[in-house]
Amino acid sequence: MSRRSLSRIAGQVGTAAAVLLLLVWSLGPVFWALVTSLTPPADLLSRELRLWPANPSLEHYAKLFGATSSSQGNAVQSVWPQFSAAFVNSLVTSLASTVITVALAAFGAYAFVRLRFPGRELLFVLVVATLAIPAYTVMIPLYRLMISLKLIDTYVGVTLIYVSAFLPLALWLMRSVYQAMPISLEEAAWLDGAGRTYTLMRIVLPLAAPGLIASAILTFLSAWGQFMVPLVFSPTLATKPLTVLIPEFVTRNYVDYGLMNAAGILAIVPPVLLVLFLNRFLVSGLMAGATK
Amino acid sequence: MVAAAEPLQKISMRGSRRRNEEAWLGLAFVIPIIAIMGGLVFLPVVGTLLDSLYRIDPMRAGTPFVGLGNYAATFADANVRQAWFNTLVYVVIAVALQAVGGLGAALLLNKIQRGRRWLLAVLVLPWCLPPVVNALVWLWIYNPSYGLLNGVLQALGLIDTNRVWFNDRTTALFLIALVHVWRMLPLTAIILLAALQSIPKELYEAARLDGAGPIRAFRSITLPLISGGIAIALSQSTVFAFNLFDEAWILAGTSLDTRTVIIQVYMSAFQNLKFSFGMALSVLAMIASLLVSLVYVLKVYRETRYE
Repeated sequence: MSRRSLSRIAGQVGTAAAVLLLLVWSLGPVFWALVTSLTPPADLLSRELRLWPANPSLEHYAKLFGATSSSQGNAVQSVWPQFSAAFVNSLVTSLASTVITVALAAFGAYAFVRLRFPGRELLFVLVVATLAIPAYTVMIPLYRLMISLKLIDTYVGVTLIYVSAFLPLALWLMRSVYQAMPISLEEAAWLDGAGRTYTLMRIVLPLAAPGLIASAILTFLSAWGQFMVPLVFSPTLATKPLTVLIPEFVTRNYVDYGLMNAAGILAIVPPVLLVLFLNRFLVSGLMAGATK
Repeated sequence: MVAAAEPLQKISMRGSRRRNEEAWLGLAFVIPIIAIMGGLVFLPVVGTLLDSLYRIDPMRAGTPFVGLGNYAATFADANVRQAWFNTLVYVVIAVALQAVGGLGAALLLNKIQRGRRWLLAVLVLPWCLPPVVNALVWLWIYNPSYGLLNGVLQALGLIDTNRVWFNDRTTALFLIALVHVWRMLPLTAIILLAALQSIPKELYEAARLDGAGPIRAFRSITLPLISGGIAIALSQSTVFAFNLFDEAWILAGTSLDTRTVIIQVYMSAFQNLKFSFGMALSVLAMIASLLVSLVYVLKVYRETRYE
């Protein structure tokens, strides 16, 4: 009896240790970035290891938001115009591609599941097969195409590329959502004389809301984190997103780890909010997208 | 006879009109998809395949047909060979660590009842963050003078002086792979968790009644029943590690020690402007990536075939 309760306690201790390990592994680097962003510049260069800054300061954030800025005692140009422009660019391209991708997937996947039209199976297989084609394979011809269309460094160009990259997964996900939906509801509406489009808008889409939210989150996160596409297609601040701007804080103009960590913390605010509030949809979407 | 045939014809005409309408509506819904995927994915892929057979180089006049010359050039290039090798190392490290860590995390989450929702949020967080920001955070952790890694290892007494981690090639490859694992482990764990949750609980009870211990139950129930999930998780992590770009680019830039095939493609095409060389290399990388993800594609195909 006592041996059994001992082994149960051991099991619980083991589980607790595993939970702790997972917490440190997942949150540790993010926490460290937060600590760094709150540490005064001088203390960043100290050898002493501190898990929380001795005198937390918002100096790095002030540098991001300030009208003037200084680096190692020299007055330098404020980074706020760049940072705010890049933040807006990230938001615009991510939101636009999310809205378009989800809308196209909502109607397209419905057609793939419920409407018979010639070439349906072939088209679906072709589109989903592009999930296996890495983005860089199309990058060079796409670059030349975008140049000839004058779409380099425009919101339209970047958004279109994002949509073409994230649409297959959203279609795949929405298709599984519609397939799981009983057709009897739609049939009842048709018998009452409702048209196809009306049924889709009023009955099917509201029921598919969790799937739509999941596709929207996955698309937004992918677009928000994109790096290689804007590295090629967004050379200037006209469309340059945060993911391309922030590394420049370390590699080009400054070697400023505090500023970089502060900018990084601000850049992860939207994804963190999504994880905190919409995690349920995100996980179910990941499970459906990866295993169906 | 004629009178009886008429309504029948009418009905079938109405039926075919409805089917026609359905087809038109379906086409209307997918035409934007055809346009976007056709114009921005299929045409460029065909373009890549064709153009990789020509010499396309803004620095040199003319675009002569060179057959498989560009492909031969990539095989002859020592830098490219190095990049292939680096990529292979990343794949091996990433797939191994993600399989072990992801299975551990999935088993833990499957076991835990209280606070599972929050632990799940903690688990998926790294996957949700921009890979570039992850890499920058880790770049600071790996910093030779003020980094957390040196600090912690010194505090624990494991090393006595600060190390410049990226001076050693093997260490550099491992540390870059580790950042990639940090980001991608959640996906492996979620796929395996979904597989674990589909196992009926009764099986474990039956096994316990038969006197099987937890290890035995894991080996003869859990592992076989999640083998499908493991296959998907492994092919997913292989493909992602294969296409590694962000982490290696941020942490070590163009360094030959850590350069991946994709970084080589980017450098050839957009820094050295050797377009067709880059395209040939990207085709080879695509073929390799397709081969390793064949498991996944076959599963998609099997699922869509029966309808």
